[in-house]
Amino acid sequence: MKRFAFFPGCLIPARYPAMEFAIRQVLPRLGIEPVDLPGASCCPDPIYFKSKDKVSWLSVAARNLALAEAQGLDVFTNCSGCTATLSESYHLLKDDKLRARVNERLARIGMEYRGTSRVRHIVTLLRDVAGYDTVAATVTRPLTGLKVAIHYGCHLLKPSKIMQVDDPNNPTVMEELVKAVGAEPVRHGNWYLCCGKACQVEDLPAKMMRDLLATVNEKQADILGLICPTCFSQFDMGQLKVAKQFDEDFHTPAVYYLQLLAFAQGIPYDDLGFGDQRIKPEVLRNFEEVPATTES
Amino acid sequence: MADNGKQNGDVVKVNFNFRRELARKVEGNLANYCYQCGACVGDCPAAYYSDEFNPREIMLKVLYGLGDELIREDSVLWLCTNCYNCHERCPQDVKPVEVIISMKNMLADAGIYPKGVDRVIATFESTGRTVPYSASIDNRRAKFGLPPLSPVPVDEIKQLLEPADKGDES
Repeated sequence: MKRFAFFPGCLIPARYPAMEFAIRQVLPRLGIEPVDLPGASCCPDPIYFKSKDKVSWLSVAARNLALAEAQGLDVFTNCSGCTATLSESYHLLKDDKLRARVNERLARIGMEYRGTSRVRHIVTLLRDVAGYDTVAATVTRPLTGLKVAIHYGCHLLKPSKIMQVDDPNNPTVMEELVKAVGAEPVRHGNWYLCCGKACQVEDLPAKMMRDLLATVNEKQADILGLICPTCFSQFDMGQLKVAKQFDEDFHTPAVYYLQLLAFAQGIPYDDLGFGDQRIKPEVLRNFEEVPATTES
Repeated sequence: MADNGKQNGDVVKVNFNFRRELARKVEGNLANYCYQCGACVGDCPAAYYSDEFNPREIMLKVLYGLGDELIREDSVLWLCTNCYNCHERCPQDVKPVEVIISMKNMLADAGIYPKGVDRVIATFESTGRTVPYSASIDNRRAKFGLPPLSPVPVDEIKQLLEPADKGDES
């Protein structure tokens, strides 16, 4: 087992525990052991708190990274926002002056940031630590013929020099991971567009979503595959709002990739929390095995 | 907009005080390297979907020091989607999104935030999380066999948020 500190963030453990459940089910099957980080806080978020005070934002991020350093482990995140904060902090804190400023604050609580733990997004663990073939080998229920419109989201890929995940102009990691579960990745016309959740006005993200979902519909995708809980909320609850606002037939269920993989590894649909979604990926039920014995 | 930078006829007068104040923020000085090529605009979703938002113009306002047009109620800066396309495209490593976030830090210093932003920050500062804790969260976690949320030592977070006495400008 390869061990990595697990930084769960706020949204997934609090709002989407089904995603955390899936992660904890999936990773050990791929030879990866998530190690909890007691005392971890919000990353803090790269949209709201960062916009208040970057030095405080860096200081709290450095504290979270120092928790992983104390365990001697690299840290992985399951949320693109957390990845953005922690990766950018790791990058910025290579600057000696800034690190000294942050460490002055950390000294108040008897901690020090050293910069010894690298930050990984969970998809890079699947790609680089486990490998696509290993992921595919754990699939017991191939999702043959399922068309998955991929939404990369922004912070998984950009800024590429800092995130170091994939080529933001032509990424492949999500396509390969979707193929690994036997499904068919679909790149829709507006695949590059942001989900709009971080924008602090209403009409602008709604128009973006309308255009994005229109190209998803053109491709007749069965589900939207994504890797960020913020994008997920925008495509689950948010999709219904946009559909109503523009009187459009938008209804493509969003599925967090690790839940899709858990399902393909044989975990029952009903155990994966899909029923809690606003737009439920009922199409997945078609892939559930017919029970060998007659139902009571 | 460019006319606003011109006073006394055609002479452009730059407000360096604003630029110096912005430069004290982390990565607040990067607009100095902007040569106004506009590479940031083509891929900017906020610029595409709004007539008000244009990252090249925002960088130009910074170069002129037109802080009054940016650090104000209903600031156009909040239209930014934080997608980082401008960061990706800029040939000068200006990172327009970071310059914009540094100016949001100035907005915060002036106590001007949109309501939703204010609420999330307050939740984080008082609980160490952006999603407020409630017993129903732990109940839902239990349904998936997950333990209760692990506690955040809020005192430690609060100590980190205190600015340093001096030399720590932000």
